[in-house]
Amino acid sequence: MAIAKAERLMNLALCLLGTRRPLSKRELRDSIEAYVEAFGPGNGATGSDDSFNRMFERDKDDLRELGLVIETVENLDGEVGYLARRDSNRLPPITLDAEEAAALGLAAKVWQQARLAGAASGALQKLRAAGLPEDVDPYGSHGALEPRIPVHEAAFEPLMLACRDRRPVAFDYRKATAAHPEQRHVEPWALECWRGHWYLAGWDRDRGAERVFRLSRITGKVRSRGGRYTAPVPDVVTVRETVASWAGEVADRSARIRLRAGAGYPLRAKATSVRELGDGWDELEIPYGHGLDAWLVEFGPDVVVLEPAELRADVVDRLRAVAKG
Amino acid sequence: MAGKPVRPVNAIDQTRRMLSLVTYLKERPGARVEDVARAFGISEDELVSDLDVLPMCGTSFRGGDLLDIDTDGERIWWHNPAALAAEAAEPLRLAADEATALLVAARAVSTLPGLRESDRQALLRATAKVETAAGEAAGASSRLSVTFESEGGVFADVDRAIAERRRLWIRYYSPARDELTEREIDPIRLVSVGHTYVEAWCRRSEARRTFRLDRVAEIKILDEPSAPPEIELRDLSEALVQPAAEDPEVVVEVGPGGRWVAEYYPHDSADELPDGGLRITLRTPDPASLRRLALRLGRDGRIVSPPELADSARQAAREALTAYDGIEAARTTRVVEADAREQHAAHAVPDGPGDGPE
Repeated sequence: MAIAKAERLMNLALCLLGTRRPLSKRELRDSIEAYVEAFGPGNGATGSDDSFNRMFERDKDDLRELGLVIETVENLDGEVGYLARRDSNRLPPITLDAEEAAALGLAAKVWQQARLAGAASGALQKLRAAGLPEDVDPYGSHGALEPRIPVHEAAFEPLMLACRDRRPVAFDYRKATAAHPEQRHVEPWALECWRGHWYLAGWDRDRGAERVFRLSRITGKVRSRGGRYTAPVPDVVTVRETVASWAGEVADRSARIRLRAGAGYPLRAKATSVRELGDGWDELEIPYGHGLDAWLVEFGPDVVVLEPAELRADVVDRLRAVAKG
Repeated sequence: MAGKPVRPVNAIDQTRRMLSLVTYLKERPGARVEDVARAFGISEDELVSDLDVLPMCGTSFRGGDLLDIDTDGERIWWHNPAALAAEAAEPLRLAADEATALLVAARAVSTLPGLRESDRQALLRATAKVETAAGEAAGASSRLSVTFESEGGVFADVDRAIAERRRLWIRYYSPARDELTEREIDPIRLVSVGHTYVEAWCRRSEARRTFRLDRVAEIKILDEPSAPPEIELRDLSEALVQPAAEDPEVVVEVGPGGRWVAEYYPHDSADELPDGGLRITLRTPDPASLRRLALRLGRDGRIVSPPELADSARQAAREALTAYDGIEAARTTRVVEADAREQHAAHAVPDGPGDGPE
């Protein structure tokens, strides 16, 4: 049976960390059991140099992924060698007290996405090895709080990496109202989770403008594109404000409605004023933002829009569509 | 903690863990398996499988010693700690992904309303220290962010009731019925998945219920002790409410503008229609609660079955229209622009978890 990848990676890491001088590819190949077994002299596979090189490159990438800084240097004979220097790989001193450790322990548990969950535990393990206090069960005494960050969208991971590495991407995106997806070319800036849904902000190359995309509307694979970003990345990316305005959370006007007494609690909760009319109806003043018409229609005959006329017309329009149905 | 942490088994995670493990074990001869597993947040089995790999590892270049680590299942012994040079055993700096995962989560949790102030302060201090220690690796963490939503005051009361094991009285809004009901609940735990919910034993229905905090209109902590029956905590990571197979079926057909329904309502199937719409089949214990959906959809969709539900929506719309008699017809052409504009108001869309059929 082939030697497990974790064993191979671990040996490569320990070799690179333990050495004081750069080790050549040849030296590593001859001394790490997993390489010897697969590509050693007795093995005799043709083209094994190529396959060794490929495996070696992948292994180095994997180790870099988990934070190892591996340097490539030429030795005196002009041969390329590798090492992971102590200075560049050491965690700077960090001292956390028991309370701080417990708080981080809770935070490390919130990811529900495999890669980030693994990375968060990995971070905590590194801190643990550096002396992070133990044996404090976070919130054990009251154990009530269980924050979770949901990630169900397949596009999440590739976009997270693209944001991290500042790599342009292309994906098929189906707008809320469109029947068919359309290919979009985007320079991704940041991902934000709001109300349990993930959004991507970035530069839309086709539109030549900033756009926010909802990850659940990305269909198919996220593909990487070569080249650099063509538009500057803003210092602060505000996904949340953009999404909030779609959701009608940003209201610049107000509307006046009649609401049946006892009905429509959420409308009352948002109202800036409520006046009892005494005939089984109340009059409310509510913020008027995007989507209010659709929301009001949900309350059926318990809501009557008084003004503005535009909102009144929209609501009537919607009601007529349902009445005809 | 009852939530089941996601625990991927992959070579990168295992390598990362083993690198920290050797640093950790080097300083703790005879460490107990149980303690080490807890410190690393892994099961004892996972730890033992790491311990199986470590003896095959070493700075093996030119005959260096392999790590002579073994365990009797109880304690872990490392017979040749000198096999690992000091420089190979130092704690490693954080990778970009590690710093991002930890920092983004810490920032999100620190904004949770209801977090005890002392815990928040501790988290903020820890976050600042980790940012410093991570150095450049912390940079990319600004490209990911998470906001938890919840009602601060309600959250604090529920949190306190759980800590003090006391019963709660709430006035709770049910969007399905557009009504407020009063109930007494024995809170079990708070769960934040986008919105924040309290899972509780509802004394009125004698059943487990999940209540969304932003729908709690009023709350009081009662003097009675909370006494929820022993119930198994579910893994709530996938969906808070799973419709039951015996629930009645509802079929909705939507046009392109109503496709969001499939994003918001857990459903059995969603089939493409030739016009770019969807035919969605879902189950709900209370089909009448979907009248709101039918009304909201307007010309973007209709209820196909059950017919009574479609009738009741039509009826409600007609009744509502009588209040507008004499109003001129609306402009018939409306520009639906919007690149990714939501076709719904997020606050108004029921997102599945309610509190059951009542």
